[in-house]
Amino acid sequence: MSDHHDEYHSHGKLYLSVFLALCGFTAISIVADLVHIPNRAMLIGIVLSVAVCKALCVLLIFMHLKFERAWKYLLLAPTFILACTIPFALAPDVGMHYYTVSVPQLAEYESQQAHKGDGHGGHGSDHGAKGGDKAHGGTDHGGGDHSHKAPEKH
Amino acid sequence: MTQHHPSAPLKMGIPIPNSKLGMWLFLGTEIMFFTAFIGTYIVLRMGSPGWPTDVHVTHISIAAGGFNTFVLILSSYFVVVAHDALLGQKFAKAWQFMLWTLLLGFVFLGVKGYEYTGKFQHDILPGHIPESDKQAMDKVVREFGAIVDSRLAAMYPKLTKREDQKSELDTRITALKDKADATAAEKQELAAAEVMAELYAAQVDIKEHVRANWTLELPLVAFDQYRTMDESSEDWKKKYGEWKTSNAKKFEDNSLKDLKSYLNAEGKIDPLTLHEVNDRVEALKKDAKLGPLLGSLQPAHPILYGNLFASNYFLMTGFHAIHVIVGLFMFVLVLKKGSKLSLADATFVENIGLYWHFVDLVWIFLFPLIYIL
Repeated sequence: MSDHHDEYHSHGKLYLSVFLALCGFTAISIVADLVHIPNRAMLIGIVLSVAVCKALCVLLIFMHLKFERAWKYLLLAPTFILACTIPFALAPDVGMHYYTVSVPQLAEYESQQAHKGDGHGGHGSDHGAKGGDKAHGGTDHGGGDHSHKAPEKH
Repeated sequence: MTQHHPSAPLKMGIPIPNSKLGMWLFLGTEIMFFTAFIGTYIVLRMGSPGWPTDVHVTHISIAAGGFNTFVLILSSYFVVVAHDALLGQKFAKAWQFMLWTLLLGFVFLGVKGYEYTGKFQHDILPGHIPESDKQAMDKVVREFGAIVDSRLAAMYPKLTKREDQKSELDTRITALKDKADATAAEKQELAAAEVMAELYAAQVDIKEHVRANWTLELPLVAFDQYRTMDESSEDWKKKYGEWKTSNAKKFEDNSLKDLKSYLNAEGKIDPLTLHEVNDRVEALKKDAKLGPLLGSLQPAHPILYGNLFASNYFLMTGFHAIHVIVGLFMFVLVLKKGSKLSLADATFVENIGLYWHFVDLVWIFLFPLIYIL
């Protein structure tokens, strides 16, 4: 029994440092949100890379993948490939719209954008600017000029 | 010839315990399960310009999300510490750390529950969210109608049709008004009935205006006369002239403003705006008599893609929360062993640890995608 105890080398310190790293990464994401980075692509880049780093920490150390034998590749490669399939399969149709979309929300969005252009004065300009900003990034395919692009489509 | 040694059996398969292999295979399917949700969410957002991101609209709290992220990371750390202690044969320590993990799981669910309560209070639920001004006005009408219906049904539980309830209400009001020697109870009933009639009229007023899309400034009293006229016809102005002459007296009688004040530049009645409807709702809620009867009626604000947002939010966080609950059950299973916890449980603890880390992993992606971006 007792020699078993001596044999085992605790990973305690490694685990603690990974935990602290995870906390640090979380803090980076939260700070990135709170400082309102004007460049949305940059925000997406920072926040998602932080998420990937955290995920790697958890997978490699907490889930012991770093210490496992080659079976991990055999087991995880098909999963990974299949997991990527859905977003890639949906992206051209739902995400990128290679055809003209005619959802009621799009017309509503365009009228909102036009409205914002008209009376951008006094009322809630901060609000409006922020909303516009975020919407801009949300489209991922040159979003901001959507309101100009759209009339051509119809 | 060489297989004579019975001490060295042929080793087949992957050099890990079967249960651990099973857990990893299961986690493989789980990865696909969650990437399907997260992937569709990303793709839908990409294709939906105007997706709601303003926290005042979505009621997403980064504080709650950040706190929950920390809770899950800490609990994940406690699991590895527990597993480490178990391998080092410090069973009491392992047990304690797993208890902490369990408690942190409950904290996570508590915060999640708090967030969900907020979503329900603000009615940010799939299918409940108006996405345009028109839908928002319809929602006010619908909810107001439901309130009037339930109040009428409560007053006259024996009658099932709304029309019957309304006519009974009118009959009672007339009867009680004519009664000279009304008792205190009857006077009370009359007051309640009159308030009810007023509530009914207020709902009909908004409903008719929304249906016709005419400004609320145009009084309902004049509605039918306007309605019979075809305002799109070319001789609208001529008709308006005739109508005005024939109804001039009525106008004065009802002390209505001239029709001109409700007409816009194109000679049409000004359309109804959501602003007007919401102002009316606010005014009604402040009304001393009607306000208390309105219950949960709120002004409605459209959220573009709000329903898609809510569906995605609840689907992803909901399935994640279910996984947390399942994980908690597994921790209860192992904690039940109490002082009987031994080295033999190390594989089981490692397996539930793997599962718990996976739950943490999903949250690591959900947090930036839902709470920050």
